Amino acid sequence: MNISDFQSEFDKIMSRTYFSEKIHPIREKAFSQLLKVGLPTKKWEDWRYTDLSSIINNSFRISEVQDGPPKKIDISNYTIDNTDPIVIFNGHYQEDLSSIPDGVELLSNLEYLEKNNWEFKNPDLSPFDLLNTTFMDSGVSLVISPNVNIERPIHLIFISSGTESLMVSPRLHIDVGESSSATFIEDHVGPSSSFFQNTSLFISIDVNAQLDHIRIQSNSDKMVNMANQYLSQERDSRYTFFQLATGSELGRLNLHVRLEGKGADCSLNGLALSNKNQHLDNHIIMDHRVAHCTSSQNFKTVLQDNSSGLFNGRTIVREDAQKTDSSQSNKNLLLSTNALMNSNPQLEIYADDVKCSHGSTTGALDNDSLFYLRSRGLDPLTAKSLLIRGFVTELLDSIKNENIRKYITDRFSNWLSKNTIS
Amino acid sequence: MIEIKNLHAEVENKSILNGVNLTINPGEMHAIMGRNGSGKSTLSNVITGREGFNVTRGTIQYKGESILEWSPEKRALAGIFMSFQYPVVIPGVNNTYFLKAALNAKLKHQGEKELDAAGFLGLIKEKLKLVDMDPKYLQRAVNAGFSGGEKKRNEILQMLTLEPELAILDETDSGLDIDALKIVAQGVNQYRDENRAFLVITHYQRLLKYIEPDFVHVLIDGKIVRSGGKELAEELEEKGYSWLDS
Repeated sequence: MNISDFQSEFDKIMSRTYFSEKIHPIREKAFSQLLKVGLPTKKWEDWRYTDLSSIINNSFRISEVQDGPPKKIDISNYTIDNTDPIVIFNGHYQEDLSSIPDGVELLSNLEYLEKNNWEFKNPDLSPFDLLNTTFMDSGVSLVISPNVNIERPIHLIFISSGTESLMVSPRLHIDVGESSSATFIEDHVGPSSSFFQNTSLFISIDVNAQLDHIRIQSNSDKMVNMANQYLSQERDSRYTFFQLATGSELGRLNLHVRLEGKGADCSLNGLALSNKNQHLDNHIIMDHRVAHCTSSQNFKTVLQDNSSGLFNGRTIVREDAQKTDSSQSNKNLLLSTNALMNSNPQLEIYADDVKCSHGSTTGALDNDSLFYLRSRGLDPLTAKSLLIRGFVTELLDSIKNENIRKYITDRFSNWLSKNTIS
Repeated sequence: MIEIKNLHAEVENKSILNGVNLTINPGEMHAIMGRNGSGKSTLSNVITGREGFNVTRGTIQYKGESILEWSPEKRALAGIFMSFQYPVVIPGVNNTYFLKAALNAKLKHQGEKELDAAGFLGLIKEKLKLVDMDPKYLQRAVNAGFSGGEKKRNEILQMLTLEPELAILDETDSGLDIDALKIVAQGVNQYRDENRAFLVITHYQRLLKYIEPDFVHVLIDGKIVRSGGKELAEELEEKGYSWLDS
């Protein structure tokens, strides 16, 4: 579907009576901009290795009321102990399955915009942000007041289901108030056979606040999952991110971090597991704008079959960002000679008193290690599984919450056992 | 226990072993000595079935069966063990997890009940004492951050845990200080009995002061050129290898 093919869907969304007319001008402006810039092509530097044919060669339509759940849905496969779920099914909020912990305010996009005097966050205006603004539907805004510690993690579950080629454009905001803390799990699941989710997520973490963010992309591998995420951090705030990506035909995370306040600390960890013809991307921009901030990026990929992956990490240290401490690491394991990984860690440093490191390695399983394990009586499959597990352990161990760690470790083990590693 | 006849082997099309004959019976400790490049390590790699070490002629019989077509794990499960010259570091794989998996693979192969976490812990604690290792090593990744001596002790710990019948000690003494050497030798000596056989591969004579061999063989250019008792090792220390060159 090319950009002009979105016109009929645009007309549909503009005629929907249940959206406030106040949002219409925002949609119109975004769509006209989108028509001008178009979807990215391989000639765009940031999109050279991302094949968008699964969007272009498909014809998606926006989700309608009848695309909601036909009957009561069972979410027991997706729940995590001691967490509060918020369920969105094919773009439709499921109030009866959702619960919100005390201290958290759940707002619609309209309410959020009104609260923020119609100040609209759209910093980068990438084509996919414009597309999201044009079609934004499942809006969830979580606002956490100052000085509260939200102990129960918020578990936002996106279920994509069915055989219709749906396009869903969730617009999410998370604002963590001064000196507050929370854990947010963003979970993408479901058996859809064709689906395009284009999410824009805006996170702001106020002074001395903390957010732990877990993103799980274990939806069907027939889906396109585009994630556009913006994060801004104030003084002495802390943010941790962990992503497990196993699902999607095309999955891409565009994560743009702005460290705006001194002493902010940002830690990004990601594990991507791909097989068949999957393509999983991570595009990180870590922008150190002020002094005394620390950041780390640790991304690993395990690739099977004909799958491909990309790590593009750009760390920028601005002139004023003295005493920056930043590290960036990308390690990739190729389990097949047909798998392809592109790794591109970049550092741009404009300050002179900083500590920055970056590194990248890509390779197959080590034959000496395999022989060592086999010489102790382990069969080749067990030996390989053990080495792959060893490769990712450090990342899984970085998840602090025990219930979440177990949930993710189970997803990883499930992937490992399903992938015949011969 | 093992009978090697006229063994020829090559690595990357280069001939390394040129007709090795060696028979080791249960209860015997054999030492193979030789200079660097004489083929010592090739011999141990061929016996354990490492990829890339190709046998071109000859046979290896283990307990009466030819093992040349066997996979490394089949040889291991049948009771062949090698203490590596350079033990591999495996980041992220916990030493306990690895050892338990290896032991349970063996127990399963023998038709015995596999050990649970508690059962394994009880067993491994006893074995740790034998090689004077702190239980904290169990929680670390396999050989990660281990000193040379710790790695070699970890090899002997694996031997004591897996209880092989034929143990090959490949340059187990290299890189060890005298204290570590004594501990390793002690671990080996108390594992000796009439049903078990050992092949000690070494460059130096000093290990053989602590692990006394029944037979010593000298390997030169991929052939055993002389065999004798433990006094041969002393003779080698005195005279070097050159008097044996043809």
